[in-house]
Amino acid sequence: MSSHAETIPPAPEERERLTRIQIDRSCRQTVVWYYASAVFWLLVGTVLALIASIKMHTPGFLADWEWLTFGRVRPAHLAAMIYGWGSMAGVGTLLWLQARLTRNRLPLPTLLPATAVIWNLTVTFGVIAILAGYSTSIEWIEIPPATAILFGFCIAVIIAASIRMFRSRESEHTYVSQWYLFGAIFWFPLLYVSAQIFLHTPAAAGAVKAAANWWFAHNVLGLWFTPIGLATVYYLIPKVIGRPVHSYHLSLLGFWTLAIFYNWAGTHHLIGGPLPAWLITVGIVGSVMMFVPVITVAVNHHMTMVGNFHHLKHSPTLRFVVYGAMCYTAVSFQGSLQSLRSVNEITHFTHYTIAHAHLGVYAFFTMVMFGAIYYVAPRLLNAEWHSAGWIRVHFWTTAAGMAIYWLGLTWAGWEQGRMMNDPRIPFLDIVKYTVPWLWSRSAAGVLMTVGHLAFAWLFWNMLRKRGAYLPGPTLLLRKGEPAAVAAGGGE
Amino acid sequence: MAAFYIALWGLAALLGATAIAALVWAIRRGEFDRLREASLSIFDEEEPVGEVTDRFPGQRF
Repeated sequence: MSSHAETIPPAPEERERLTRIQIDRSCRQTVVWYYASAVFWLLVGTVLALIASIKMHTPGFLADWEWLTFGRVRPAHLAAMIYGWGSMAGVGTLLWLQARLTRNRLPLPTLLPATAVIWNLTVTFGVIAILAGYSTSIEWIEIPPATAILFGFCIAVIIAASIRMFRSRESEHTYVSQWYLFGAIFWFPLLYVSAQIFLHTPAAAGAVKAAANWWFAHNVLGLWFTPIGLATVYYLIPKVIGRPVHSYHLSLLGFWTLAIFYNWAGTHHLIGGPLPAWLITVGIVGSVMMFVPVITVAVNHHMTMVGNFHHLKHSPTLRFVVYGAMCYTAVSFQGSLQSLRSVNEITHFTHYTIAHAHLGVYAFFTMVMFGAIYYVAPRLLNAEWHSAGWIRVHFWTTAAGMAIYWLGLTWAGWEQGRMMNDPRIPFLDIVKYTVPWLWSRSAAGVLMTVGHLAFAWLFWNMLRKRGAYLPGPTLLLRKGEPAAVAAGGGE
Repeated sequence: MAAFYIALWGLAALLGATAIAALVWAIRRGEFDRLREASLSIFDEEEPVGEVTDRFPGQRF
């Protein structure tokens, strides 16, 4: 193709450049809506998280108003983070990745932004309903079931858009990220609909309901957030450092083994519960089999990064994404081990599990989404992030906050579990033992809140285009090129 | 009771079956024949291999 470059204008480089601008611009309205909403829910979820965390060591805090009792604030935090922040950041990234990877414009320019609005209304209704006392009290699916139709409509539109882009794709290859993305959008509705049927109809009751609950909840992590997160990692690490993934074979092996094993793992949440042993054993086998995709993905990402770690110093996206990818390995190893009966009898019903959950949803998924937004937003809005300093604040407060959170609760949870297994130790002594570690959780939460505020401030300024104006499709200044025009307020 | 456990297990099996069906479809379509090209498909002339595409704002390279 390059031999035609001199004779036929526009040059291939120019064509590629135009295409990418057009693709990114076609995503602007929808993806910016999703991202801005996600950032809003991140803040809401953070406030609810802090309230819940403080209540754990200072039970009198805001205890006089039933809307803010622990039993309501904690599920409201989960709903805001999972369905508000996580899913909306995830869908935004998913749509942008689909457009880029199929080299297609994002279709349905009215319907897709409308889904963002509907999604927001649904989450708003859900969070308020939970705070008002209308939670279903089934973990991970506390939002009243009436909202299922609205979520279902949004997902249907997102599937339609993805299929349309894929069917008329310009690229003849299916990149590994696309497999993960298709996994996410086809499995999630199946999970969601089945869970609604199993949980909210008389079809299931008692222990069966618990089994259905954890099959769903664990799969939301494994077949919704994990594939979107890994798709993003598989695109952004090679793209940022400019080097193809170390082994494409391994990347595919990782996807297909995840696709086949993950879905069986959920019942490990019920080890020791009143369920048939075979059901739990299937869950444990599925969890241990997850070592295959996890080791595959870990080796592959590490080998891709070898020789390129110096880029971490210069690229905000890479920092967040690599931190997230490393935590994916850690959380999955931990998860497989935790599913073993001998380990689980210590960790179950302790703070250890909370640390593990945050290592997955926060340290892995959320950090990867931060990285994605740092990469995508400037390309959609043609503006530079307005402050490198605030990005550093965001990274270090969230990275350190998460580390403190995890270390404190993992240690406390392990000791708590060992003490609970010893009938000679009074329960109240165990509760008292955990209090300092619960304070460390709140301290970590404050650090992460600072990071989220920095991020929200950066995003707000991005929306107002306070950063330097970027005339080109990428935000990079090359040596000798004229500096980008400051649009006011930038550094 | 047992019927519901089996139904749940069947649902998990159905999910697994979609993965295997997709795998068979992908093999038949020859998705795994040209892996090197697929791994390079995210690069193009304007952002080729070797080009770093992200920096802190204001940084040059």
